[in-house]
Amino acid sequence: MTTSSTASSHPGISVGPTSEFSLFFRVKPGQGPSLRSALEELQNTEGYRPGDYGMAIQTIHEARFVLFDEDTRLAFITSFDGPWDAYMEDFFTSGPTLALFDVIFRHVEGYDGLPDLAAVKAFVLSAEQAAAAYARNYGGTVKEIRKAERVNAAFQQVLDHPAAAELLEHPAMQPLLDEAGD
Amino acid sequence: MTDVASPHLELDDIQAGALFERPSPYVGTYLLLHITDSADGRELVRRLHRIVSDSQTSDRTGTTLTVAFSYHGLRALGVPQESLDSFAPEFREGMAARAAVLGDVGESSPEHWERPLGSAEVHVAVAVLSRDPAGLEEAAEKARQAHAELPGLQVVWRQDCYQLPTGRTSFGFKDGIGQPAVEGSGRPSTRPQEQPLKAGEILLGYPDETGELPPMPTPQVLGRNGTYVVFRKLHTKVAAYRRYLRERARTHDEEELLGAKMVGRWQSGAPLALTPDRDDPGLGGDARRNNDFGFADDPRGFKCPVGAHARRANPRDALDHDGSVDVRLHRMIRRGTSYGPMLPRGVLEDDGADRGILFVFAGAHLKRQFEFVKTQWLNDGIFIGAPAEKDPLVGPNDGTTGFTVPRRPIRRKLHDLPPFVVTRGGEYFFAPGLNAMRWLAELTP
Repeated sequence: MTTSSTASSHPGISVGPTSEFSLFFRVKPGQGPSLRSALEELQNTEGYRPGDYGMAIQTIHEARFVLFDEDTRLAFITSFDGPWDAYMEDFFTSGPTLALFDVIFRHVEGYDGLPDLAAVKAFVLSAEQAAAAYARNYGGTVKEIRKAERVNAAFQQVLDHPAAAELLEHPAMQPLLDEAGD
Repeated sequence: MTDVASPHLELDDIQAGALFERPSPYVGTYLLLHITDSADGRELVRRLHRIVSDSQTSDRTGTTLTVAFSYHGLRALGVPQESLDSFAPEFREGMAARAAVLGDVGESSPEHWERPLGSAEVHVAVAVLSRDPAGLEEAAEKARQAHAELPGLQVVWRQDCYQLPTGRTSFGFKDGIGQPAVEGSGRPSTRPQEQPLKAGEILLGYPDETGELPPMPTPQVLGRNGTYVVFRKLHTKVAAYRRYLRERARTHDEEELLGAKMVGRWQSGAPLALTPDRDDPGLGGDARRNNDFGFADDPRGFKCPVGAHARRANPRDALDHDGSVDVRLHRMIRRGTSYGPMLPRGVLEDDGADRGILFVFAGAHLKRQFEFVKTQWLNDGIFIGAPAEKDPLVGPNDGTTGFTVPRRPIRRKLHDLPPFVVTRGGEYFFAPGLNAMRWLAELTP
């Protein structure tokens, strides 16, 4: 975005199609333990268990909630496909996101439930900090990575076929043959 | 989030042209005026108010006159700065200032726009539409009288337009299907699966899909029952489009299929989602059926490509599981209309004529409706997992971009897409309610 009109949002740094998104909060006094337990509960929710690969928001690459400074601060850090600021309203009208954020953010300062969208937006934007540096090791979106994983799994299946070497001898197969050796 | 019941729409105060479907077929004229004297400007608004008001109450014969103002127009009328500052930031900036965001670059960039489009000279937009030339002439005469003998006003731009009886535009496709219904408007949805939109998605002063009131300019009398209007003159390169398809198809049928895959509908308007293999003109012309579909049963796009124009512009249920998109926040009323002569059937060489579409949007949220759809869904492919692809028909393609047509056994990839649509200019306007027009006419300097 090249405009200053969206003064209330800070798009942050993008690498290819993906943008970094980090929120930093102060934990309400004495609520460190309950927040930690809410996060443990989240970790055990279907879709969020390690290996499930099924978070409610399918356009983020990963998400981490970090309690630090003796559980007085909370960071939420993620990578989002697309400019996250364009989707601000969407996050807060899409059911799963709202419910998820509510159980966690009720333990941090500045959060008074979800009275209205403007308040939630203001709350999130006030916690957002653009990264000073951000790098990625691959260029694809979550949708592309998932497709690539499916294609690779299919390719491995083909390689396991007894006739694979013979089939890959056709000149058109050369790029696949180059990837078949290891 | 509180669920506020949508109040009764004040239909008498809402400009009919902003909310309701046009007669079909129709002829029309768009006029842009420049105000050099604010008193004359307010007199114009007073006269236009009377015409719009008369047609609201008495004239349901299919002639409409719609009036809208740019930021500079409101300023020229003497709207106080505090009030001007209360409008949406995008509206205050104007469309030309948003060019880089909107993808209006290269041939489409404002430096190449028709004068005075995109400049501070454009103040008032008047759209006159009628079923037939006689009705148009009558309405246009009223509009002429409205600015006659007012030396502080000049007509700075004029564009005639029309809709063919077939509803088809210059690329040959029936357009204007798939409009959302608006709660309280009395017009039912043409898509049973889609609940009518909350009125506040289209009109200011009513709760929107978030359950809240859209940001509204002040004072309330100015904002209430108004809507933002996006106006864009889009030149279509019809000969280049036809040649592109011809060069990539072996048969006429294949050409039709490739064209349909790019659009998401066959030329008749029949959706690929319902008839993926061949056109079905009966379906295309049936308003009860041609919008009655979704994409959820076709996630990989074998029927309708995920990158097809109509699927991008309105993904329906295709993104329901993404968890980050609420498609109802990105709907809009579209009033596209044709200008310029149609390129005769079969002609592959450009005849030099200016033809295309006058794109008109009406909605309460410039940024999350028009600008979101344009930037995230038409100009980009991140949301469909194809960041390198843009809308094959209306996207800012540059001769290097491509388009994937899912197909068994092997997908087809179209390469080297040139731009088929060039922006000739446009502006963001505000179409006020009738009380607001009266307020504008009575401003005291």
